[in-house]
Amino acid sequence: MGRKAKIGFYALTSCYGCQLQFAMMDELVQALENLGIECWFMIERDSDEDRNVDIAFIEGSVSTEEEVELIKKIREKAKIVVAVGSCAVHGGVQSWEKDKSLEELWKIVYGDGRVKFKPKMAEPISNYIKVDYNVYGCPPERRDFLYALGTFLVGSWPEDIDYPVCVECRLRGNPCVLIEKGEPCLGPITRAGCDARCPSYGIACIGCRGAIGYDVAWFDSLAKTFKEKGLTKMEILERMRIFNAHNQKLEEMVDKIFEEGE
Amino acid sequence: MYIPITVDHIARVEGKGGIEIVMGDEGVKEVKLNIIEGPRFFEAITIGKKLEEALAVYPRICSFCSAAHKLTAVEAAEKAVGFTPREEIQDLRDLLYIGDMIESHALHLYLLVLPDYLGYSNPLSMLDRYGKEIEYAMALKNIGAKIMDYLASRPIHQENAIMGGFGKLPTRAQFEELREGLKKVLPMAEHTVELFSKLEQYKEVEDRDMIHMAIKPRSGVYGIFGDYVKVSDGFEFPVEDYQKHIIERVVEHSFAKHSFYRDKPFMVGAISRIVNNADLLYGRAKELYAQYKDILRYDNCFANNFAQALELVYFIERALDIIGDILAKWPIKPRDRVEIKDGRGVSITEAPRGLVAYTIEVKDGRVAYADIITPTAMNLAIMERHVRMMAEKHYQDDPERLKYLTEMTVRAYDPCISCSVHVVRI
Repeated sequence: MGRKAKIGFYALTSCYGCQLQFAMMDELVQALENLGIECWFMIERDSDEDRNVDIAFIEGSVSTEEEVELIKKIREKAKIVVAVGSCAVHGGVQSWEKDKSLEELWKIVYGDGRVKFKPKMAEPISNYIKVDYNVYGCPPERRDFLYALGTFLVGSWPEDIDYPVCVECRLRGNPCVLIEKGEPCLGPITRAGCDARCPSYGIACIGCRGAIGYDVAWFDSLAKTFKEKGLTKMEILERMRIFNAHNQKLEEMVDKIFEEGE
Repeated sequence: MYIPITVDHIARVEGKGGIEIVMGDEGVKEVKLNIIEGPRFFEAITIGKKLEEALAVYPRICSFCSAAHKLTAVEAAEKAVGFTPREEIQDLRDLLYIGDMIESHALHLYLLVLPDYLGYSNPLSMLDRYGKEIEYAMALKNIGAKIMDYLASRPIHQENAIMGGFGKLPTRAQFEELREGLKKVLPMAEHTVELFSKLEQYKEVEDRDMIHMAIKPRSGVYGIFGDYVKVSDGFEFPVEDYQKHIIERVVEHSFAKHSFYRDKPFMVGAISRIVNNADLLYGRAKELYAQYKDILRYDNCFANNFAQALELVYFIERALDIIGDILAKWPIKPRDRVEIKDGRGVSITEAPRGLVAYTIEVKDGRVAYADIITPTAMNLAIMERHVRMMAEKHYQDDPERLKYLTEMTVRAYDPCISCSVHVVRI
């Protein structure tokens, strides 16, 4: 991309933490020498979703019918579409109860109240459009953005991380939160890249970067360890679903462990 | 036939909202703040979940004030199970919360508000002529972020703040580093006060009927945590009673509910804290308050911007004092064991943009009931009133100017729109 690359940062339903993380990078000012912002409502008043862009960063889950239309439009206008953060990539924490009906959740929160927009259950954007690259995390690390952006700008393609948080945790020399402290750490199934941020504070990983892809997230083997520590199947599924509610393999792999043992 | 004047997507705020001004024969007929961010059902999805896991999910309501959500939810949960944190832990939480306050105010003032006044569409293009301001903005937000980084693992969605305390504490050297950093940015905060004292306050929205709500600080000095809410009409109520005094209603143009006190809209935020608690300021902020009292008016929402600038000075000095206290008590045990029992707890604290309320009921280690009201949800009704006042004065102007002025009115509230959605009673 020899000329200034055109970028857009779009939000669906989310906490805006991904954009905030992006906007807070000191390096952004430098990067803007090579970037033109076509659409980024959080910082640019002169923003327009109808403009063509080279890279579209999309944050948030698809949670209204209006957002389905928006991402289809963005797909048409963008050369590269990047799903940013757990909501866009995995449907986010708002998918935690994805098996409940929309009507049930609506009733609990809004009662009989009605609004003029059309809500839907949260979904990842890849359910509706082709996504070219994912930036993981809730929120993503700043270096995730720098790496992806920098790589695109030199005309190359960023690589995906395919190993778990445990790898980075071991490298930092942390005592194991799962084995030594006996806490339900999701490090073994969660995509690395955060430098084992939470386990380094002695806090069990809650899996905010989502399960490792390429079918190498061993939900079953971790479920077995959790089971041995006394967790029930429901407790295990609930915890693993916080950031992986839409994962196709999760349930059957955990099921396997409980069928074997009973 | 009149065509409504609309801002589909208000820029430079957190979240997705729009303004719709409907015109009639006698001028402005109706003004609506459309909140189009999708619903996320936080209270509903956490029902029946393990308390610890729900506490990790609640802060995901909002990134700009994730520490505020985390600490308010944790306090409500601790009250529910009958646990009171040690004084040192409370100090550390105050410090963490202040980190959020500094970062959020710096971002709002410099990156979201200032470009309007200086005639830019975005803050980054201000760099050529206002390099110093951008540098200050970054330095202020960086020290806020660093406090959250060191104390709670990261500036957004902190997992290290938990019931009973913290997983791990920063080192003494890190606290000293924070202290040096805070000292360095104090003059920048003073510069912010001076800069914002010169900006126009837009008398169009002066509203003598304004009601302000803020916490009555438990510490006895201007602050964040408390057990009573003060209303500017002189009324006070215990935080446990908020559902009696803050009444929410569903409105059809918004996924966020509107809030009322005695059937009237009310305001929360930095200016509401100043209106209710200015006598509890101390240090340099107290002097600045005396100097700039005229700008800190109760009847103009634009004063919220200046109140945030003043708070930057206050909270930096306050953070320095808290670090002094922490180091005097060093070493501090990071965490106490919390026994999970059944019960109900309520916490209200001062998020950067105003009061945030949590009720959590615990049964068998799981969340049995949750209610959350965020500051922006509380502010929506009065925000709509002031946008209307602005529109009534300017509807004959060029529509672009009308849009610009109404957007600025919304921005003065520092709204967090994603926060405001999913706020309700079960």
